[in-house]
Amino acid sequence: MGTSRTTRIALTIYGIIIIAFLYLPLVSVAFASVSKARYLTFPIKRYSTGWFSEALASTEVRMLALTSLKIAVIVTILSMIIGFFGALAFARYQWRYRSLFQKLVLLPIFFPQTVLGLALLMWFNSLGIIPSWKTAIVAHLVWIAPIATLIVAIRAYSFDPALEEAARDMGASTPVILREITLPLLMPGIVAAGLFSFLLSWGNFPLSLFTTGADSTLPEWLYAKMVSGYSPLVPTLGILSVIGSFLLVIAALAGLAIYRALRPQK
Amino acid sequence: MPANPILRLKSVRKTFGHFTALHGIDLAIEEGEFFTIVGPSGSGKSTIIRLLVGMDELTSGEIWLRDKRIDQIPANLRPTCMVFQSLALFPHMSVGQNIEFPLKLRKIDPAKRKARAIELLQLLHLPASYYDKRVTECSGGERQRVALARALAFDPEILFFDEPLSALDYRLRKSLEKELKDLHARTGKTFVYITHSLEEALVMSDRIAIMKSGRFEQISDADEIYSKPVSRFVAEFMGEVNLFQVTASDGRIEGAGLIAAPGDATSTMAERITAARDATLMIRPEYVQFLADGQVADFEISGTLNGIYALGSRIHYEVKTGSGQILTVEKLREDRYDGSQGDTVRLGWSAASAHVIEDTPFEEKVA
Amino acid sequence: MKRLDGKLGTLASLPMLVVLALAFIAPLGLVAIFSILPEKVFSIVNMPNFSAFKTMVNQGYYKSLLWSLFMAFAASTILFIICWPLAYGMAKVFKRFALIITIAVVMSLFVSENIRLFGWVLTLMKGGLIEGYLRHWTGVGFESPLYNVGIIIFGIVYVYLPFMLFPLAQGISMVPEDARQAARDLGATRWQVLTQIDLPLAAPGIMVGYLLTFVLAAGAMAEAKILGGRAVIAIADDIQTAFTYGQNWPLGSALSMVLIVLIGTLAIYGIAKIDLDKIMGRD
Repeated sequence: MGTSRTTRIALTIYGIIIIAFLYLPLVSVAFASVSKARYLTFPIKRYSTGWFSEALASTEVRMLALTSLKIAVIVTILSMIIGFFGALAFARYQWRYRSLFQKLVLLPIFFPQTVLGLALLMWFNSLGIIPSWKTAIVAHLVWIAPIATLIVAIRAYSFDPALEEAARDMGASTPVILREITLPLLMPGIVAAGLFSFLLSWGNFPLSLFTTGADSTLPEWLYAKMVSGYSPLVPTLGILSVIGSFLLVIAALAGLAIYRALRPQK
Repeated sequence: MPANPILRLKSVRKTFGHFTALHGIDLAIEEGEFFTIVGPSGSGKSTIIRLLVGMDELTSGEIWLRDKRIDQIPANLRPTCMVFQSLALFPHMSVGQNIEFPLKLRKIDPAKRKARAIELLQLLHLPASYYDKRVTECSGGERQRVALARALAFDPEILFFDEPLSALDYRLRKSLEKELKDLHARTGKTFVYITHSLEEALVMSDRIAIMKSGRFEQISDADEIYSKPVSRFVAEFMGEVNLFQVTASDGRIEGAGLIAAPGDATSTMAERITAARDATLMIRPEYVQFLADGQVADFEISGTLNGIYALGSRIHYEVKTGSGQILTVEKLREDRYDGSQGDTVRLGWSAASAHVIEDTPFEEKVA
Repeated sequence: MKRLDGKLGTLASLPMLVVLALAFIAPLGLVAIFSILPEKVFSIVNMPNFSAFKTMVNQGYYKSLLWSLFMAFAASTILFIICWPLAYGMAKVFKRFALIITIAVVMSLFVSENIRLFGWVLTLMKGGLIEGYLRHWTGVGFESPLYNVGIIIFGIVYVYLPFMLFPLAQGISMVPEDARQAARDLGATRWQVLTQIDLPLAAPGIMVGYLLTFVLAAGAMAEAKILGGRAVIAIADDIQTAFTYGQNWPLGSALSMVLIVLIGTLAIYGIAKIDLDKIMGRD
């Protein structure tokens, strides 16, 4: 329908307002992180980057970041592997229980994470496993691997099965096909899934809260400080974590752009 | 130009950014006419129909329905209706609900609506039992009929068609073409039909408009468009054709290896060719004869038989002339020419079956 | 080919199935077992007695469940209304801007939800970003809108906006443009196109969006704790307390079971209804 100019402009403005709404709280956090005062009030009277240097110098912060990073990296690698195979079962192969599998994969995404975290806590205890950052990896995987699967599946849907059949016709075995045809073609999806996995694991808190045991991740520490006993480091660490995530996304987008620019022209 | 048109376009222009889709076109369509606009894709024919039903706004110009200007009226308030290329049947409604949709919007009471829907099903040769059928369960031809019934439901003044048959297979298309023509006769409504298929246009239309690059090249009845095209474009668009770049001096036509016999028939043509800036002589393949030894014709040309193609009831012959031009000759199977590839042949035709296209620059067709 | 596909499909699904069996289905099974055990036991070798469910009713835990369900419903409905125009724009009107919105919304998901909620506290509190500057410039401030049910719903709306927006946009993009134009051509007003064409044909997307936000919101906890200052207790909060401070696994399990059954029924119903192949790109 010929959408009128007015409608288009009104909707665009509406979109900008929604985006502003999504990011407004981060603006407050950013302001708070550069306020010199120990107890924050707006308008901010004196600005200081002191909390940043304190945060970066603190061993506790370094430990928190390291734990978050360890978990996120391992979750990313495992999610990419599980997601690659999962997506093939989800979208590519026509097998008997495909539709059931699809629905099973969706369930953990629909599931309240707090309850999942607590159920896992009880499960680990019953098995005699003492929760640590390693058990948190398992918890993150339950939620993140299905998301990674969906992301790779989107790519797998647009994949022409004839390509694999052609390779098989030329004499390629299943492992060769997977390595030479399927994997390279799904690679953009797998990379995107990896990026999502890392970021979602890095920012996750409801699952970490119950499954890290004595270890603690950044979002957990932030939550603890928010709920009881404000620390001026909360906004600082919060914004550092956000900046880290966004830098990673920007680096990924830049990497994609460079890859596209350097790729041999057809 | 019809004396009392139902639909008139006055200098209608439509631009999209820097692209001009319609260059100020004028058109008048008569009440009850089956009018077809034909053109290749990108010629502007779809733009016209979108403007006519109100899905796009025109850049300038006017559209009149009888004595009412309608170009500023929103689509839902115009008393016209369109059958979409995709048919645009509502997948979440039954056949009956689809047909009744426009009536429901007009607050017609349910009993009357249903009666009208059943009546329309009958008009379109669909059983009344289809009323409750899901449109997603209908075949291609049935869906076509449902779309027609829906478009007719509120008795629109004009029915527009945007290539509704293009997605169907050949046989179904052929039978629906005849059915549409028949429906047009039975309802007496004005049909404005858009297609890129010349065949469709020829079978159904009272008048045909040929479009090219946002302008009408020719508006006329099927016969005239076929035998007296105003431009090379129209001539070629209307099917296989042989064209010769010609000049004339002192009443003699020359060019492309043609031999024109002097006489009354060719001299009038020669006068027109002399007057024109660029002239092209056109002859349709079915009017070209293979000349026997000693046989003469108004126009003659010789060449070698290059190829023979059987097309079922007809046979096509390709003849390469001395200047390298490829000519097409068409014969009915029963009138076939017994020859074989490589034979030297003489072709000829009468002046009455040829046509002079004036003032269109000749572009060499590469064989 | 068919047999090979069958074998490969089974094999490819294995890694995911192992993870889900060991870390999703088994723990939930354990929750189901614990929910019927006597309270405050820590081993499954006990006779079931369903006492935890009695406690749940007697001590008014159902109130937090009702609150959670109410807030989830209210938030989903608000989300549907505020996301529809934007989703429509993304699906039918915007070109490049749709991509920008998608990226911006997805990026926001990468920020831990507690940081974003904490940002709202800083924005809305007395002496926060809005009130602080307002008072600074005009001399007039306002009381903090924090710590009540309304602000919890606001927080849920904020956190789960992407989960309504994307399914809606997907649903609207599945409404054929021709059907909308045809309705218009047949005489429908813009409102009639919305109610008779857009809403019914976008129904799968609407349902997924509604379910997703409702289910996630019903199990949410951070909004009530950070923004709501526990003006009401969310059911997830009760579950956490029972497991941690209360050291009452059967009670926590029983509460979890009620939530899981409610949410699970909805989720399974919803998931069963959607045609994933169609939504995700195979026609």
